[in-house]
Amino acid sequence: MKVHRHHWFVRLTHWVNVIALTVMVTSGLQIFNAYPQFNRRGESFCCYPFAGHDIPRWATFGGWLAGGRHWHFAMMWVLAINGVAYLVFLFFHGEWRDLAPRRGDVRDAWEMMKFYLFVRKHHPHQGKHNALQKFTYSALPVLGALAIVTGLAIWKPVTLAPLTNALGGYALARYWHFLIMVALVALSVMHIFMVFAVDPYSIRSIVTGAYNSERSPELRDARPFYHLFTRGQTTEDSDASA
Amino acid sequence: MHRRDFLWAGSGISMSWLLAACGSRGPKEAERVLSYATRKNEGVERALFRHTSMDETSAKWRNAGAALPSYFIAKTVPVWDTAARGPWTLEVTGLVRTPLRLTLETLQRLPRVTQRVNHYCVEGWTAVESWTGCRFSDIAHAAGVAPEAAFVDFQSFDDGYHESWDIESAMHPQTLVAYGLDGAPLAPAHGAPARVYSPVKLGYKNTKYLTRIAFLPKANGGYWSDRGYEWYGGT
Repeated sequence: MKVHRHHWFVRLTHWVNVIALTVMVTSGLQIFNAYPQFNRRGESFCCYPFAGHDIPRWATFGGWLAGGRHWHFAMMWVLAINGVAYLVFLFFHGEWRDLAPRRGDVRDAWEMMKFYLFVRKHHPHQGKHNALQKFTYSALPVLGALAIVTGLAIWKPVTLAPLTNALGGYALARYWHFLIMVALVALSVMHIFMVFAVDPYSIRSIVTGAYNSERSPELRDARPFYHLFTRGQTTEDSDASA
Repeated sequence: MHRRDFLWAGSGISMSWLLAACGSRGPKEAERVLSYATRKNEGVERALFRHTSMDETSAKWRNAGAALPSYFIAKTVPVWDTAARGPWTLEVTGLVRTPLRLTLETLQRLPRVTQRVNHYCVEGWTAVESWTGCRFSDIAHAAGVAPEAAFVDFQSFDDGYHESWDIESAMHPQTLVAYGLDGAPLAPAHGAPARVYSPVKLGYKNTKYLTRIAFLPKANGGYWSDRGYEWYGGT
């Protein structure tokens, strides 16, 4: 059954975010390559094992340090404004209810893990998203906000000295900014992997908005690369499962 | 073409565009947007700028000392040649009531400030150092700055290296004309006899080997600013 899954505003902000985040990460790595370590001059740094090693060029954007900076400081506004617009929309349009984790979601996430690891036979019952998705999709805006806060601290370390100091000073704030980027990239890579490996039918829903509910992972009992092309049971029959 | 084909073709084209963009400077057409963003960012930065926002360092952080990179654009360390050029002086000129020519001794007689602050390099590293010098604002007051002087150009004897600043940043209490580093006279590697030193600007804005301070009605670019880095370069 064809259902309408994503409001046009959610689809628009999703794809703007794809572009903005990609440019922010790659231009950020371009900037990082000018000093690919975290120690203050004359000090050592405890917690970065790859100090002195450049990020490969294919993962960078901007061409050179100044180019990376120009892209980074321009796209940061797109990322921030788009993110705020998305959250405001979620709040007023009520979509946050499909995403915000609630009581029972920890247990449901555990059940999803068991299902993916073949410990559990059938896909747990879910709403629009499963519990693992809800945690991921709620973590992203939080990480985005932290990226902005740590980013401001290293953009204006003197003007915003109280913020930078609260984060442990410039060198540490730069490290937090980097770690948050790593987390954002990790979740995004996982998200893309799961889209292709579990629910490629959802690509249509984030482009046109339409979704074939009979193809839902729950009805297909879909694990990564399992039951990818199986047609699910009809919605009426599905209650008997789980 | 069906809508589905169109979407697949579209995503294929955008994917290959993304892959081709790796490591590149991005599309040429974007440059106007980027310089627009730089101008707008500068507006935000200048609006947020306060003379009461101070750079702070923690006692737990070590001074960089010998690990402080030295940097100049000439092929060898620029050293003031007294035999050829006479004694070094700092010229204060432009939109001022009294143009000045300060010797190192006069500079050192102005109220002396020592501050332990961060050096913020555009590359992303920082270095803690103790700088000694006089406040730029004391020199400005001594020369009597005209109200239409909105910018300051800091010029050097390092192959024409210079960087111009907005006057607000120059008048910040942590902006010094520094002649001492870590309790010793400034060494040639770090800009002797005197240099601009302020944590409110990125390293490249802090002209070393200073010879001339010019008060101007308009900005005058700078060595790295003219080569694509942000002119404002504020922290």
